[in-house]
Amino acid sequence: MVRMLAVIDRDLKKFRRNPLVVGMSVLMPLLYLVILGNSFQGKLRHLPLAVVDLDPGPSSRRLVENLSALESGALEILAMTRVADQQQAVAGVAAGTFKGALVIPPRFSKRRAVAARPEVGLFLDNSDNISADALRGAVQGAVNAIPDEHIAIRESNVAVHVRDVNLYPKVDYFQSLVPGVVIMAIFLGALTTGAFNLVMDRFLGVDESYLLTPLTKTDIVGGLIVSGLFITTTMAFVIFVASMWITGIPLAHWLSRTPMVLLIVVLTTLGLQSLMFFILGQFHHPRIVGILSGFLNVILFFPSGAVYPIASFPGWLRGFARFNPEAYAVHALKAVLFKGAGLMTIAGDILFLLVFTAIMLVLAVVTFQRAE
Amino acid sequence: MAAEPAKMVEVQGITRRFGDFVAVDQVSFDVMAGEIFGFLGPNGAGKTTLIRMLTTLLKPTGGGARVAGVEVTENPDAVRRAIGVVPQALTSDLDLTGRENMDIYGRFYGIGAAERRERTAMLLELVNLTGRADELVAAYSGGMRRRLEIARGLVHRPRLLFLDEPTIGLDPQSRRLVWRFIDEMRQSERMTIFLTTHYMEEAEALCDRIAIIDNGRIIAMGTQEELKAEVAGSDVVTLRLAPPVAPVLARLADLPFVHKVTEEEGEARVALDHGAEHLPQVIGEVAAAGGTVLAATIHELSLEDVFIHFTGKSIRQEETRKVSFLVGAGIPQKWGR
Repeated sequence: MVRMLAVIDRDLKKFRRNPLVVGMSVLMPLLYLVILGNSFQGKLRHLPLAVVDLDPGPSSRRLVENLSALESGALEILAMTRVADQQQAVAGVAAGTFKGALVIPPRFSKRRAVAARPEVGLFLDNSDNISADALRGAVQGAVNAIPDEHIAIRESNVAVHVRDVNLYPKVDYFQSLVPGVVIMAIFLGALTTGAFNLVMDRFLGVDESYLLTPLTKTDIVGGLIVSGLFITTTMAFVIFVASMWITGIPLAHWLSRTPMVLLIVVLTTLGLQSLMFFILGQFHHPRIVGILSGFLNVILFFPSGAVYPIASFPGWLRGFARFNPEAYAVHALKAVLFKGAGLMTIAGDILFLLVFTAIMLVLAVVTFQRAE
Repeated sequence: MAAEPAKMVEVQGITRRFGDFVAVDQVSFDVMAGEIFGFLGPNGAGKTTLIRMLTTLLKPTGGGARVAGVEVTENPDAVRRAIGVVPQALTSDLDLTGRENMDIYGRFYGIGAAERRERTAMLLELVNLTGRADELVAAYSGGMRRRLEIARGLVHRPRLLFLDEPTIGLDPQSRRLVWRFIDEMRQSERMTIFLTTHYMEEAEALCDRIAIIDNGRIIAMGTQEELKAEVAGSDVVTLRLAPPVAPVLARLADLPFVHKVTEEEGEARVALDHGAEHLPQVIGEVAAAGGTVLAATIHELSLEDVFIHFTGKSIRQEETRKVSFLVGAGIPQKWGR
């Protein structure tokens, strides 16, 4: 144990004396949160729409008013630009200035009044399906709302109404990324500490300074994993608090859940550190770590449910997710953070992480070769 | 503590292959307790591979070795406890201070805090690093780092110290400083030292016994006197000659006091007895054979001459050839990595 503590101390001292590594390790997951959160927010906003109104009648005015309401409403789904010329509007779509062009033809109001199959034209940039679908839906909603000349004070007794009941406090998309960002921080921490230090020591030729001593394999593997655990857990917790602040989650609200979060973070870190040691412990060049890092991040992070629900994956990917430690970690963190789940609720996740860690730890020690 | 074996290293037919390449080939020798035993050979001769096998970093593919009385492959942990190693590559942590490097290393051996402090201070003083002990090793020169690593290798009072090319890359002044430390430590620590080197003067300055290794095989072994005794003649006269060279060499070889004449890059090396006494006659014979002496030097028989005698080439020439071979074959410097 004394010898293992020496390995831990050596590693922590070396880490502390590289402030750039410390700063990057904390900053990168937070940048990920900011960039991913802002670039992929689930709902689309400010889609540019050109509107050409060739029918200055009451129905077309009503339709444009409805579109204006969508533009300035809470969702801000579109940004409307009035264009006089139809060809100019379509050319704008082709040039990428607009995602769509709505053309309200002459006599639209009259045809509607006499029920003569009134139509509007919607020219869409269907090379971007997601934006095209969203615009189609928005315009269809505006068209459907043309007959609503007044707001009913009572709901219709005939129509079926769906009542939403939210079981948990509202979580927006930005906030929903927090568990994923914490897991990403743990992954990066596990990748750049622990086994990575062994690879770097081998690369720099300084590994012999401890391979030539009576340190056992357990001392070396255990020491590097524990120092990595300490560094990564600290980083992950700093990132957890910072990401809550960035996404506007009140810190006091989550303080009571901190011990559970810490438990998940520690177990996930141990599991990933051991996995990394098992995989990277065989290599002698940091370039291999660079090559593997992108691959491992993709196969562990994206099928974890951090960004997209696992239930929506195809069968084979759902099968893979059953063995993905990050999937259990994300599930447990989401349950604790957003549902206030207790230990019993996440017992299955904790059990998986424990078993996974134990298996990987044994594999890491057994496969670590000190003599060639 | 176990009784000190008479033989601190016993090697029997040890072999290491990397694929088809045989780096160390059926090597056998003993190192007696208390002596400084040197392995002399050019780069790529197999010295580091041998030392890596004896220090448990590399498994032999044939033969065996006992170090400090323990079979290296059967109980490597006991071997590691008994030995100190200063590897050829600098392995101290750049992000730690000199003192921290020593302290961490002591902790790897389970030495208590008080003893570590005392031992670290004493060894840093011995290698003249007390004044720089609390600076990061990144700020050390190569010579300081080498001295630190020698001190670090002694922190746990090893019975046997392995030094792999201890002065490689150092300037002559630092090299002599390291030799002095090794000699002082041998006396103060009473240990057995096994060193490898490709510097003739280093082997001459430090070693009680020397093994000459080339192409993975030991080609000669003994004390300096024993090795020199294997080469006939007490002196070597080196002559730089203007052509014609061949008739001059033939005439010199016929002289009764000349034992051997070799030629290397336009220089004739003449092994003979009583060189100073016979030099005028040698120069006269060159003129008589139609040659001209451009320069002449005379020196007592050295290890360099012994190396040339056994291998037919100087160590510098051999190094050049080896490096060309390694580069041409694309073989990494650290075999098998």
